[in-house]
Amino acid sequence: MASVWISGAGMTPFGRRPQSLPDLMADAAGAALTASGIEVPDAIVVATMNPEEFLGEGNFASRIATHLGFAYVPAIRVETATSSGAAAIYTGFTAVASGAARSVLVVGGERMTHLPTPRVSEIIGRSIDPYERSYGATMPALAGLITRALMARSGLSAREIAQVAVKNHANAVGNPYAHFRAPVALGAVMTSRLVADPLRLFHCCPISDGAAALVLTASRAAVRIVGIGQGADALAVRHRQELTSFRATQAAAKAAFAMAGFSADRVEVAEVHDAFTPFELIALEDTGLFPPGAAGRATLDGETALGGRLPVNPSGGLKARGHPLAATGIAQVVELVWQLTGQAAGRQVSARVGLAQSIGGLATNNFVTLVEAS
Amino acid sequence: MPSPVIEQIQGSRCPQCRTAVVPPARFCPWHPVAMAPISLAGLGEIVTFTTLHSPPEGFRSPLHIALVELQGGARLVCHGEATRGIRIGSRVAIEAVDRVYYFAHLGALDRARLFWRRAGRRGERLEAIARSWAKRLWKGRGRDTGE
Repeated sequence: MASVWISGAGMTPFGRRPQSLPDLMADAAGAALTASGIEVPDAIVVATMNPEEFLGEGNFASRIATHLGFAYVPAIRVETATSSGAAAIYTGFTAVASGAARSVLVVGGERMTHLPTPRVSEIIGRSIDPYERSYGATMPALAGLITRALMARSGLSAREIAQVAVKNHANAVGNPYAHFRAPVALGAVMTSRLVADPLRLFHCCPISDGAAALVLTASRAAVRIVGIGQGADALAVRHRQELTSFRATQAAAKAAFAMAGFSADRVEVAEVHDAFTPFELIALEDTGLFPPGAAGRATLDGETALGGRLPVNPSGGLKARGHPLAATGIAQVVELVWQLTGQAAGRQVSARVGLAQSIGGLATNNFVTLVEAS
Repeated sequence: MPSPVIEQIQGSRCPQCRTAVVPPARFCPWHPVAMAPISLAGLGEIVTFTTLHSPPEGFRSPLHIALVELQGGARLVCHGEATRGIRIGSRVAIEAVDRVYYFAHLGALDRARLFWRRAGRRGERLEAIARSWAKRLWKGRGRDTGE
């Protein structure tokens, strides 16, 4: 297997954006290509979760390739619900590692804010098991069920869950690409309105527009993908053997660390899928970065803050950087590349190895990616 | 208060790993094996629950949703009228109204009634087993067929 390097990274600011999705993707792709010095990639992998419903457009790989002026470059669209961006990296990685391509442009994005919130929730909710959906289960509802079980089982406190939001908002203050750049106080999080008891509004990520891109190459660059893994679980939450940890993350992490040939103690910065703040704590334990039951206390103690032992979500995470679905998995790795190469002014940490974890659906199709500065 | 009739819930079971699911599925989630239809008593325990304050279109707010583990192992998602007094581990009865499942908290009286009914059934079963053993011994065939 050939080494796969990240030779360029770029993204648009996340939030409520005026541009169309093809234009957002063009901006992100343009930035990544410029950084890589590659004019025309051998192949393109496009990630969008649902342009058919959000935008009424299909055949999106060709749509983007043509829009970028790469009408002759072969393009594929990849979709695994909310981890589509990470799945696109995985697809691009395998293309370069196998020798099928020398350079791949991976670009993902979503445009959602033009639709009313109930409509957006309904479209995202289609990634839930149809029977559970017929009972009104939305992503926040399932996350609420999991959070209550987690709090009862591990003794995780409301303060620990709220502190994740406080930390990630504080981190996003220094990130010019973030959706929210204002800090929030612990009390404000803990008294925000209930969405899906015990989850409150400030425990949940926003609806955002945006795009992110990477250029993966067989030629040497500043950062290398040293491990990447995918993990799966049953679509239906009721079928899960475990409710309070995600088997899909555990399997993805195991595969990624096996490929990298090192363990979690080498990781010095992490970007994890905090669509709901308790999910950050679950992710930290599922990936082995913290022992079971320890992530909540560590967060309260500041261990995962920017100046802590292991900074987590220095970008602000999904919670504060925003979550334009298929852009997110790529944006996580963009942030890691910037952190590892000293381009994260305002939120810079000192790290050589980074981990990204992305959740597809309600943790049915997850990815873990490990990157290392060369 | 729950109805005195115990709801029968249709599901399916994997002949290989014995996993039970509700509603019935064609294949086991963990094996590409055809599942066999089963019927489960609508009695179980609350695994977890939530109240959704901004439910999707077609549902009233607040929407109470619970994950219930039935006796027999299958879990189902159902609605409830309220979650007051409900805890993880609470014993509930499941009722179908218009083909939608609802959970109802079992009070001490309901539990006692159900216990005695089950105990009664068990008693009858023991008696039947004893009778069949006596019959076999009488016929001079001592081998248990396992049924």
